[in-house]
Amino acid sequence: MSQRTERRGGIHVDQSDLLCKKGCGYYGNAAWQGLCSKCWREEYQRVRQKQIQDDWALAEKLQREEEAAYASSHGPQTQPPSQSTPPHPQPGHASLGPFSKFEEKKTNEKTRKVTTVKKFFSPSSRSAPKKETQEGKTPSPSVSRRASFDTDQVSKDFVDFLKNLQKPGREIHKQCRAFIGNMSSKKDLSADELSECVQDFYQNLADRLMGHFKCSSESVEQVMDQVEKYIMTRLYKSVFCPETTDDEKKDLATQNRIRALHWVTIEMLCVSFDEEIPEVSENVVKAITDVIEMDSKRVPRDKLSCITRCSKHIFSAIRITKKEPASADDFLPALIYIVLKANPPRLQSNIQYITRFCNPSRLMTGEDGYYFTNLCCAAAFIEKLDAQSLNLSPEEFERYMSGQASPRCSGSEEDWSSPAPAPTNPVLAQLNQNLEVLSGLSGRQEALMEAAHSLQADLLSWPESVQHEVHDILKKYPLEVLPRSAPAIDDNNDVDNDNLPPPLTPQVV
Amino acid sequence: MAAGGTGGKTYSFKVVLLGEGCVGKTSLVLRYCENKFNDKHITTLQASFLTKKLNITGKRVNLAIWDTAGQERFHALGPIYYRDSNGAVLVYDITDEDSFQKVKNWVKELRKMLGNDICLCIVGNKIDLDKDRHVSVEDAESYAESVGAKHYHTSAKLNKGIEELFLDLCKRMMETAQAEERLKGNGASQSASSRRGVQIVDDEPQATPAGGCCSSG
Ligand SMILES: Nc1nc2c(ncn2[C@@H]2O[C@H](COP(=O)(O)OP(=O)(O)OP(=O)(O)O)[C@@H](O)[C@H]2O)c(=O)[nH]1
Ligand SMILES: [Mg+2]
Ligand SMILES: [Zn+2]
Repeated sequence: MSQRTERRGGIHVDQSDLLCKKGCGYYGNAAWQGLCSKCWREEYQRVRQKQIQDDWALAEKLQREEEAAYASSHGPQTQPPSQSTPPHPQPGHASLGPFSKFEEKKTNEKTRKVTTVKKFFSPSSRSAPKKETQEGKTPSPSVSRRASFDTDQVSKDFVDFLKNLQKPGREIHKQCRAFIGNMSSKKDLSADELSECVQDFYQNLADRLMGHFKCSSESVEQVMDQVEKYIMTRLYKSVFCPETTDDEKKDLATQNRIRALHWVTIEMLCVSFDEEIPEVSENVVKAITDVIEMDSKRVPRDKLSCITRCSKHIFSAIRITKKEPASADDFLPALIYIVLKANPPRLQSNIQYITRFCNPSRLMTGEDGYYFTNLCCAAAFIEKLDAQSLNLSPEEFERYMSGQASPRCSGSEEDWSSPAPAPTNPVLAQLNQNLEVLSGLSGRQEALMEAAHSLQADLLSWPESVQHEVHDILKKYPLEVLPRSAPAIDDNNDVDNDNLPPPLTPQVV
Repeated sequence: MAAGGTGGKTYSFKVVLLGEGCVGKTSLVLRYCENKFNDKHITTLQASFLTKKLNITGKRVNLAIWDTAGQERFHALGPIYYRDSNGAVLVYDITDEDSFQKVKNWVKELRKMLGNDICLCIVGNKIDLDKDRHVSVEDAESYAESVGAKHYHTSAKLNKGIEELFLDLCKRMMETAQAEERLKGNGASQSASSRRGVQIVDDEPQATPAGGCCSSG
């Protein structure tokens, strides 16, 4: 809460503090800067819209500068490339380091940004440097500025790369610029249509390089890698997990699914890892890290490289364990195991993004494509996984899924049914702890309910007892002389009632 | 940018290996790509994705061989593996009748999903164990013919029939690709439709310095 109303005798929260700051009548939420969900969404949309416009303005500006840089570098006196690229348009980039990791789920993004805002509003940060406070006022652009910082670097590299190509370089640059400009007007296309546009562009450009400029296939591959990097760095934000798809929903479903499958063991999947061997477990950890890292990359090819690195570590682990080269029958189960262990962020979005926007030749026949296909298989397998896929009975599978039982890695099946000592599994330990907390809470709730009930009973009986007393007094001192004072007593009674708390209605706390 | 290439072509083909467990799929590719069999000292890191470069009648071919997980529980994942493949090598063990039945199932599925775009090879492996043969040569060959596939006999152990198998497959895939090329033909092609098919790229002859235009990356 950004504002607190302090009164004598402790903190008093006014009803109005809880309402939406826009005054729409709904309750607000601290996480939404005191707005209700509806008003927050409107507010957020507005900021976002502006941010997108700013981004495009910046992109266009950069492109003009690039053009100029490009032209000048091909003038009679070639300048060194570093000088001909535009300086950073925003000062203070260096202070933005902590924001660079903002590549989370969109929903998370919203809440996280707000957390940052909150931080700046809290008293302790009032003394923070002014620059930072300003940064905090418009939370989202800080992310985009970091992103455009990376984009600048990519643009610079792209121009440098194209300079070596002379005439085709100019052509490629022109085409890419035109294409990105074109795409900005196509924001509301479906994901498939966006994919078609990008893929057609790749194809046409490659055709042109081969046909018109007679480039060798190796050169074309190299150029297309750079083109993909340049284009997708710029388009990433608008085409990764776009709102027109249910990618995000699938991500959450997969994430939950993997969480629910935490009990799956190496033995059930028949993975040839001997994690007792340090070198094997080292490779397993590296493989997990690699597949998690995929989400942090923006260029499809860089994402693919993460998958390939992950796969190579898996192969090493298998090779060390089995002492023979891994076949697909070794590899796929191992990859499934790694994915289950890693629970890679936004797995479905990443798979979709790569499928839609990667250079197709890489996906179809290349080595990267093979590993990527296996990752798709792993994701599909995890989604469909049932008792049979793990050689379990349906009952066993159900018990594990519902958390009633947990398999022992050692394979001694009696173990879990006996009253186990302190559970070794950290998830189980956490679970037990949660259960304890829950039962404690429910005990406290019961006590509270009881107290409330007795309070209610007291309150109900109190007016009655007062009335009794009054009656007794009336009986003792009959009011014959002043008959009109009887209603006056009723009035007094009302006045007394004003000092009473309102009657409690029973409700579940 | 080096110009004036004579337009030599490089074909890139994706071939999937299908078949029951233990019929010798891995042995076949390792023999083909590395000329190794049951060698415990193989330095190869993995045998699930292997490539081979060939030169067939002056045309360069990059062959990518995709091993697939054969266990029954992974069967449903087949379509993800063989999507966009130009050829399939369906292996059975001549001493194992069941493995031949499996091949028949694969053929049905592939034809249903990919039609005639895919070149099918049915391979009876382990012919060194001919004395234990349980699948008759006539049955296998006539079945292959009836589904528009070609039949081959191989032994990974003795290195028999494997070169021929892959060479023949490549030639057939090239024919298919060339036919497709002619079909979409003279400039009127819809690039979108051809995009996910075979990659055909103009190429420099080997003599010119490699990577002429893009030497710095
Ligand atoms: N005699 C003989 N044995 C072979 C031949 N090819 C493979 N084998 C043996 O058959 C067994 C299985 O071979 P793999 O290559 O692992 O079979 P696979 O089809 O890859 O099996 P999965 O990976 O389990 O699907 C091994 O013991 C090989 O030594 C062959 O031509 N002749
Ligand atoms: Mg194998
Ligand atoms: Zn509101």
